Amino acid sequence: MMINHHPDDATILAYAAGSVTEGFSLVLAAHMENCPHCRRRMAEANALGGELLSELQPVAMSVNGTEDIWSRIDKASDAEIPEPTIPESVDGVPGILTPYLPGGIDQLPWRSLMPGIRQYVLNGVESGRGSVRLLSIAPGTTIPHHTHLGSELTLVLKGAYTDEIGRFQSGDLADLDDTVDHQPVVVDNEPCICLIATDDRLRFSGVFSRMLQPLIGI
Amino acid sequence: MLMLAVTNLFPESEEKVGVSVTETVDWLVSVAEKRDRYAFERLYDHFAPRIKSYMIRQGADEASADDLAQETMVQIWRKAHHYDPQKAAVTTWIFRVARNLQIDRLRKHRLHEVELTAEAEHKDQGYGSHERFEKRPDEDKLRSLIGGLPEEQMEVVRLAFFEGLSHSEVSCRLSIPIGTVKSRMRLAFDKLRMGMGEEI
Repeated sequence: MMINHHPDDATILAYAAGSVTEGFSLVLAAHMENCPHCRRRMAEANALGGELLSELQPVAMSVNGTEDIWSRIDKASDAEIPEPTIPESVDGVPGILTPYLPGGIDQLPWRSLMPGIRQYVLNGVESGRGSVRLLSIAPGTTIPHHTHLGSELTLVLKGAYTDEIGRFQSGDLADLDDTVDHQPVVVDNEPCICLIATDDRLRFSGVFSRMLQPLIGI
Repeated sequence: MLMLAVTNLFPESEEKVGVSVTETVDWLVSVAEKRDRYAFERLYDHFAPRIKSYMIRQGADEASADDLAQETMVQIWRKAHHYDPQKAAVTTWIFRVARNLQIDRLRKHRLHEVELTAEAEHKDQGYGSHERFEKRPDEDKLRSLIGGLPEEQMEVVRLAFFEGLSHSEVSCRLSIPIGTVKSRMRLAFDKLRMGMGEEI
């Protein structure tokens, strides 16, 4: 997988700090599953977190000594906690998404949003005032001009689109904020399936698009 | 006499000097391999008060901060075998355990993260060798680089790491545009990575 578009440095730092929504962390983890370059950046951002932690002014524990911690450890199961495993990637879709896509990407109960665009909302993923959803966009379809009140992370799972920034294909991640007003167009002959997380509502620029917004619910 | 007085005034800075990076690695590895209670107590003495401090910064009250610091230490005991000294510093690994617990308990959600497994590394063939394996960053170098960052960059970094503020929340707190928050973060991270010798 040749990946050309990556999350912003400021996004990686926020991710390591733990100050992003769960939805953002899911999209970032899905990107990193196939991107050693960003895993490396994440390791460095985590190392920064570790340094900051070790430089914090210590606050004495309320109980002196280690008796309490041992009784707590002995009360907890001593079983070692297994390492979390990520399911195998199926058909190019990152494995970390598998639990959220029951039956696989082709079996999802997609809902039509407008001609050429179908969506599936991933429920139960904390997203602030935003959401996490999959969009399946037919070839040649254009998404109306819009900007974002907060930020938007878009990970391409299948197919490709182009916009003012460039061409985005499988594995690429677009990291957009309110300074970007873009109009993506799906290219090539297959539908483009994207995983999109927002942490606030989108803002469509045109009058017609604004009328659509309540209907689409994005 | 004077030396003794100084030591008593700053017990934590004395203690910090007293714990080396190698020691923390040895302790955690010994906990993982031998269930070494003595080594665990050394980790506890050093890290629990810092984790408690972190939890307070994240908004926990005194009692919950104690509880969360203890719970983090329980997890360190039970997950010690996940630690790979080739890949990460002990502080980095402990930071992640504390951070994930804090997100789970204080914010009531999860932080998804991809662990780098051996198979994943295997699949990554085709990338440059400098990117194929995660290597433990040099902590001493990182520490001095952090010390050299301008205060206005450190301020946004600390608000994100310690108070869990998002870019827009940092922007509100400091009354500066969100673009400025992000560019300060980029500058800070860039300087650290350049200093660590990254080819990015």
